Amino acid sequence: MIKIENLSVKYQDVTVLNNVNLEIEKNSWTSIVGPNGAGKTTLLKTMLGMTSYSGSVTFEGKEVYKDLTRNVAFVPQRPLIPIGMTVIEYLTLGRAKVDGWGKELKRGRIYIQETLENMQLVGLQDRFATQLSGGEIQRVLLARAIVQEPKVILLDEPTSALDLHYQIRTLDQIEHLRNQGVTVISTMHDITLSNMYSEKIAIMKQGRVLLDGSSDEVVSSPQLREAFDNSISVHTLESGKKVIVASRDESGRRDSNPRP
Amino acid sequence: MILKSQKQEFKPIWNVRITLVSVLVLVLVVILAISTGPVALSTQEIFRTLFGLEGGLEGREKTLLLEIRLPRVALGALVGAALATSGAVYQTVFRNPLADPYLLGTAAGAGLGATIAITTTNNSFNPALPIFAFIGGASAVAATFLVSGRYFSNPGVLLLSGIAVGAFASAIQIYLQQRNTEVLRPVYSWILGQLTVSDWNNVMWAALYIFLSLIILFRISKLLDGLMLSDEEAFSLGVSPNKIRIIAVIAATLATATAVSVSGLIGFVGIIVPHIIKGITRRVTNRALPTIAITGAAFLVLADLGARTLIAPAELPIGVITAFIGAPFFLFVLRTTKGGLK
Repeated sequence: MIKIENLSVKYQDVTVLNNVNLEIEKNSWTSIVGPNGAGKTTLLKTMLGMTSYSGSVTFEGKEVYKDLTRNVAFVPQRPLIPIGMTVIEYLTLGRAKVDGWGKELKRGRIYIQETLENMQLVGLQDRFATQLSGGEIQRVLLARAIVQEPKVILLDEPTSALDLHYQIRTLDQIEHLRNQGVTVISTMHDITLSNMYSEKIAIMKQGRVLLDGSSDEVVSSPQLREAFDNSISVHTLESGKKVIVASRDESGRRDSNPRP
Repeated sequence: MILKSQKQEFKPIWNVRITLVSVLVLVLVVILAISTGPVALSTQEIFRTLFGLEGGLEGREKTLLLEIRLPRVALGALVGAALATSGAVYQTVFRNPLADPYLLGTAAGAGLGATIAITTTNNSFNPALPIFAFIGGASAVAATFLVSGRYFSNPGVLLLSGIAVGAFASAIQIYLQQRNTEVLRPVYSWILGQLTVSDWNNVMWAALYIFLSLIILFRISKLLDGLMLSDEEAFSLGVSPNKIRIIAVIAATLATATAVSVSGLIGFVGIIVPHIIKGITRRVTNRALPTIAITGAAFLVLADLGARTLIAPAELPIGVITAFIGAPFFLFVLRTTKGGLK
């Protein structure tokens, strides 16, 4: 569905993405994981079509650059929420792509109403979006993406500002979307959560994709620790699920000899 | 019953009835402004004269109505609409509740451009003035934007950049004035803001530029709502942020420049009117732009009425009236707007 070939992105003289190759299947969840500055957000923005690039990024066979026609929802890490805008107005903006700017169609209103109910946002619709808590904002952001009825949803660190309870809740909601046929691409810091939810993981470092494949393959790969400068260790739970944690040895240095 | 409750939960993004109320307010203010002055004119006589009916005004009173009061009110309305709409558009485009044609340096730049036009042609008012004013205004906006760099959405940085650019433009303008003392008086009285020199000729070409700008801005008003979000979010919703931003800034700067070239420097309209409309209606959408324009027109006609009647028979510069209301209002917005000068 999305095919990235020999993708490079430069900002002035700095190479932010360097010869990235990636294929994303329709109706799958791909997590892009890596340390800060790895180029994850740039890769997401490039897939959105906003960033100029060399190489090729195609969506259903069509180059994405400056293509405003695709229905791709974007959930930013730090949203810009207009002062004085209510939740319902914020969601109506999300619907503009489907119904047309300035048109509030009956179908759109019904869809927004249903989304409010599904996302447990009923009662918050007339509150100013700026006054909501972190968890509520995240639900509103997801709701705004949902009312777009997108084919693809791009999420930039959807769980970074949330406590563990809301992280799981948010990821469950994203999983529900994927189950309904939406292709999900998210950047994540947490490899364990990525492994729990996504089918595919791409590990990025310094603008390159070091490792990509099915989530189980990636977390089992010996290259995973190298990608994180040997500062992680992988543990297997009784259920067989893998847990990846930051690790230090007893002297406080990074653990160079992990206990599998 | 369910349908009814669902309907109540959806407040429309904009309600055309609000616009109709603003039209009514404008009509009332215009009638008040035309009929009030050293010579009071009755509403009935005004209507009869305008529609060519029997019993209308004659002689000096007719001239007073058609050649003095009416063009002055029309120019005031045009300038008010231009400044209020430009203010609202700048606030959206720069994502900054305190953006205003004056605080961004646009007006000072336009003033410099107009002064260059006046000093080089030795003529106070001519149709080339808006072009010069536009070039000056656009250069000032570009300079303010470049000086604030990537911090343009920070109210404090943008304002300080605008003040610096404005001060620089004003310094050059004063230098030009001093070098060309023969135009010192017209330039000085024009700087303070005045609508006294309005005649139909001025009104017509100001209307041309201002209507052109407003039509463009009204047409893109729905898409401007996308600019309230981040560029990535706007793009994902099908809006090309840079394209809309450039069109909006060009149109708003043309409107401001025209307003400055016909009326001088009248401050704060671009802050007062959009905030009043957004405050009263509790809506932040740019679909309010036509209503903001109409209310801006009413506001400036009313301010001009104050300017020419408060210390009659003398006149106050209209910029003094708007600053008198606008400066405290600005502080109020500064204190109540979340984020303020952070």
